Amino acid sequence: MNSAKRIYPKDSMTAQQRFDAAVRLETPDRVPLSLMLYYFAPVYAGVSMHQYMADPGTYASVMKKVWEEVGPWDIYYNIHPVSRLIYSYVLMMRTLWPGYELAEDEMAKVEEITYMNPEDYDSVIDGPELLGDTLFRLRMLGRFCKEAEGAGIASLATRMIIHLARQVRNWRKDFKWWREQGAAIQIGCQAEMPFDTFSQARNVLNFSMDLMRTPEKIGQASTRLAASYATFSVTVARLMGVPTVQCYCHRSSNSFISPKQFEELALPGLEVVVNRIVDAGMTPILHCDGDWLKNLPSMRRLPAGKVVLQLDGLTDIFRAKEVIGDRMCIFGDVPAALLAEGTPTEVGEYCHRLIEEVGKGGGFILAAGCEVPPNAKAECVRAMVDAVKKYGYYGERVSPPVAA
Amino acid sequence: MPDSLKSAVTDFQTKFLAFDIDAIPKATRDLLSAGCGLSDFLTACIPCMEEIGNKFEAGEYYLPQLVVAGEMFKIASRQVKAVAATDSGCKYIGKIVLATPKGDIHDLGKDIFAVLAEASGFSVQNVGVDIEPKILVQEIEKTGATILGLSCLLTTTYASVRETVRLLEEKGLRNSTRIVIGGGATEKSLVEKLGVDAQTRDAYEGIGIIKSWAAQTGSDIETKEAVA
Repeated sequence: MNSAKRIYPKDSMTAQQRFDAAVRLETPDRVPLSLMLYYFAPVYAGVSMHQYMADPGTYASVMKKVWEEVGPWDIYYNIHPVSRLIYSYVLMMRTLWPGYELAEDEMAKVEEITYMNPEDYDSVIDGPELLGDTLFRLRMLGRFCKEAEGAGIASLATRMIIHLARQVRNWRKDFKWWREQGAAIQIGCQAEMPFDTFSQARNVLNFSMDLMRTPEKIGQASTRLAASYATFSVTVARLMGVPTVQCYCHRSSNSFISPKQFEELALPGLEVVVNRIVDAGMTPILHCDGDWLKNLPSMRRLPAGKVVLQLDGLTDIFRAKEVIGDRMCIFGDVPAALLAEGTPTEVGEYCHRLIEEVGKGGGFILAAGCEVPPNAKAECVRAMVDAVKKYGYYGERVSPPVAA
Repeated sequence: MPDSLKSAVTDFQTKFLAFDIDAIPKATRDLLSAGCGLSDFLTACIPCMEEIGNKFEAGEYYLPQLVVAGEMFKIASRQVKAVAATDSGCKYIGKIVLATPKGDIHDLGKDIFAVLAEASGFSVQNVGVDIEPKILVQEIEKTGATILGLSCLLTTTYASVRETVRLLEEKGLRNSTRIVIGGGATEKSLVEKLGVDAQTRDAYEGIGIIKSWAAQTGSDIETKEAVA
């Protein structure tokens, strides 16, 4: 981080130093806070979702308002898309946007369509490793993304570079303001992992049958794309000037697959991705939706003190701390339901427990589970900020949290 | 049950429990050739789904097994319906209306639950996604269902759930309708906050809940409807 500005008066570290210490499993001055409030922000500010997503100026002013009135906090969750094409490329799902496919005030939604055939596993396995993931995505994009329909690989690649340049230029301008406030930036690059992309692209039924009929192909194909995924992510993160890669693992949890399937089919590719990102001097943030508890023992072989495990409330985060807290920085997980329907006292108590138990000794970042929902109560979001100020400083033990 | 039907049922169940989806159409044709009606078909499926459910609960099976089991049931039930749609002896243990409420378009969890509920002996009206509260209430009135299942993957559905509860109360249907919510955006505390009757963490727990409700009502619902 460029700025040495502190977030709160009692801080002795910058937000970036705090984040880095938590990743290394060290004890920072206090628990870092990431408010992942992309969809909450426009609702709070009373701005239409369409205007917020389509106009960078509106986005910036909304975020500034939330920062000033709800925050401040440590880590800026930067997922604002400038280009629909780039957004589709990283998520690999058809997205419906407010003001385009949806009414102006609706939240963006994902529409699951089947765009991948069983033969595509073979194409990946027999295809090149160099640029394999990039070529796979370019080949698939035209099957589900309007902006890519009818385009050949070469013209789509050219268009992608132009859109990526626009996106990077916008981000770097955006980051400047956040760094001036003292915040660390969460994401240098983000993309759905290959295994999870296959699950989404085939749809759950087809993928379930693939898992029974040709599991080895899924494993081989997702490992085949791993190196290229990592190379692309590291390159983009370097362009962005942010040394983190947020790897979306939406379909690898035990809510979808067994621990055995995870270990044999998804983990080999994940391991390649993680090791390559770490070797590049960057931090992989594993965005782990669903219940991951039974996957965690096998994930202990990933490098210690280098990886962030982002949980969404469906994994028992307290057990996760016991199982893997000595290897990975844990990130989460105030439930969306609590932020939408709870009271500030309930949120404060839950944060207190997270800080004391998951944050014990460091290696923890307080955040919402997955994201702050659009209908969260502002006072509940503020309660997360207050909890960090009240309970988050290491060495300032206050009364023990209320047991769950 | 005649021996030929018993044998066809055993063969069907063996294929089903082996997740041999490609063999299901023929096994179902054999059932029908042996004189299987809708009621016998459901009787054949229920123990299979229970066994798969028990293994799911025990952590031996995961979502892929549930999904494929659901698909096998759908394939077979379509074939049986085509022939046995007028089977008047079919008894359902309850009627349920299912939907993803207004504010959400996710349908995966709901659809899995729908198939499991059918295969467990319920008559299911799967209304769809992003459904307005007034439509849900109309479906309850139209079908006479006593259970409403709502799938909520986003917190933006909460307002619709509340409104549905309010409309059911206004229509005098709340006391006769039990409501279960499920999905990633739900937790137990919402039962009281949203005014519903239960929350389920997964499809199989949900099936257990609605079965217990059906058992409490104490009477099977006899119907001439085909499997939905």
